[in-house]
Amino acid sequence: MDIVKDILAILIFPAGLAVMAGGLAYEWIDRKLVAQLQNRIGPRWFQPAADIVKLLAKEEVLPEGVDSRLFYGLPVVALAGVLTAALYVPLFGLAPAHSFSGDLIVAIYLLSMLTLCSGLAGANTNDRFSLIGATRTLTQLFSYEAPFLLTLLGPAIVAGSWQISEINAYAGGHWLLFTQPVGFVVALIGLMGKLELPPFDAPEAETEIVAGAMTEYSGRGWALFRLGKNVELIIGLTLIAAFYLGGLSDPLGFLLKTLALLLAVAGLQALFARLRIDQTVGLWWRAGALLVLAQLLATIVLKGMTA
Amino acid sequence: MATILGKKWDEALEQVKTWARVNSPWAIHFNSGSCNGCDIEILATVTPRYDLERFGVKLQGSPRHADILICTGPVTLQARDRLKRVYEQMPEPKFVVAVGSCAISGGVFQGCYGVVGHIDQVIPVDAYIPGCPPRPEAIIDGLVKLLGSLQAKGEATAGEARHDSATAHS
Repeated sequence: MDIVKDILAILIFPAGLAVMAGGLAYEWIDRKLVAQLQNRIGPRWFQPAADIVKLLAKEEVLPEGVDSRLFYGLPVVALAGVLTAALYVPLFGLAPAHSFSGDLIVAIYLLSMLTLCSGLAGANTNDRFSLIGATRTLTQLFSYEAPFLLTLLGPAIVAGSWQISEINAYAGGHWLLFTQPVGFVVALIGLMGKLELPPFDAPEAETEIVAGAMTEYSGRGWALFRLGKNVELIIGLTLIAAFYLGGLSDPLGFLLKTLALLLAVAGLQALFARLRIDQTVGLWWRAGALLVLAQLLATIVLKGMTA
Repeated sequence: MATILGKKWDEALEQVKTWARVNSPWAIHFNSGSCNGCDIEILATVTPRYDLERFGVKLQGSPRHADILICTGPVTLQARDRLKRVYEQMPEPKFVVAVGSCAISGGVFQGCYGVVGHIDQVIPVDAYIPGCPPRPEAIIDGLVKLLGSLQAKGEATAGEARHDSATAHS
């Protein structure tokens, strides 16, 4: 019976079809919100699904001079990584499908797989735009990853656990948004950097380097990378809502909290112009990392004094 | 394919594919020697005022991501090879729209020493949008008509599958 339950958890709920459908829905809400903020009507509700189906049905061109195993394998690994991360977070406000001590670290690394894979995919091709895109993707990875990790470390320290479900339970009684405001802001902006949303879309800047690391991908591979990004969006929003917005314990609270976060993300996307890659790195290391470190220090000292 | 899944499934799959193709046409814009009049109108078409995203149209940078190649201008000798290359870089199924008088017939550049001629002397064209330059409304109308013909073609393919299954059963 346990095996059937595990297979269901992996294929359908919460890590399989459900999280993919949720990711597509959240992509639509994001695009619709940005469109409304730009005084447009925006896409129809089934637009992300139509995009993915069309890409899956398209021809996949294998460019000259690439390692075909890597070219076909990387999108699958990227999507598999984020889908596995979905097992450890309280998606839809329900308890995580799997939980063990230290699963926060595993989830963070699995979420980074997507970025690593797209960087490798760009470096794998001979195309100059892909190569520049890959360099920028990896540069951005090194700039936001440490501050983002530190922002998730803050709640873990006050909760005294590395287990996502325990931190979620602890956050249920404490709105960390008010006790660790810097961490919340940096986490939200870190998520935008992770997803390469504007203003952190220098790695795929279409006015400069066509489509960055993804330039040579068409059809199935491109569809899987897009799907992976959608899933990462919903997982990232879930993590931040669970840690900073008073925990996630029911589907209604999940919807309200993640949609509020998505509204903030869409607003920031519509508000700011694209940063250059050196400005992105500067912002993260000069402002983001230092502020979060200071807050982390304060948290540890306060915890030591009260204990 | 048909032998694995059966005709009914094949037909349904074909319908889903056509639906996705009609509802998510991503475009790439290529200027093969235009005076920029048509290009400005195309850019005006993707601005918030006309908002093509409500039909699912997105302007893509890479030919590998695009379904529709929007061509403007006559084809010059220098642009001919590039136009062919961009067309060949696009994955199947792909469609070409010729925008403006010059793309359709060469326009005022007809017979120039540096000009090959119109677009369909170089690559096959699926839809023509006349005008010098065509208004954004005309471009949207042309795109919608192209999508309509795709829908009809998709239904015809699905109908063929239905017809085949009928003959197979009898």
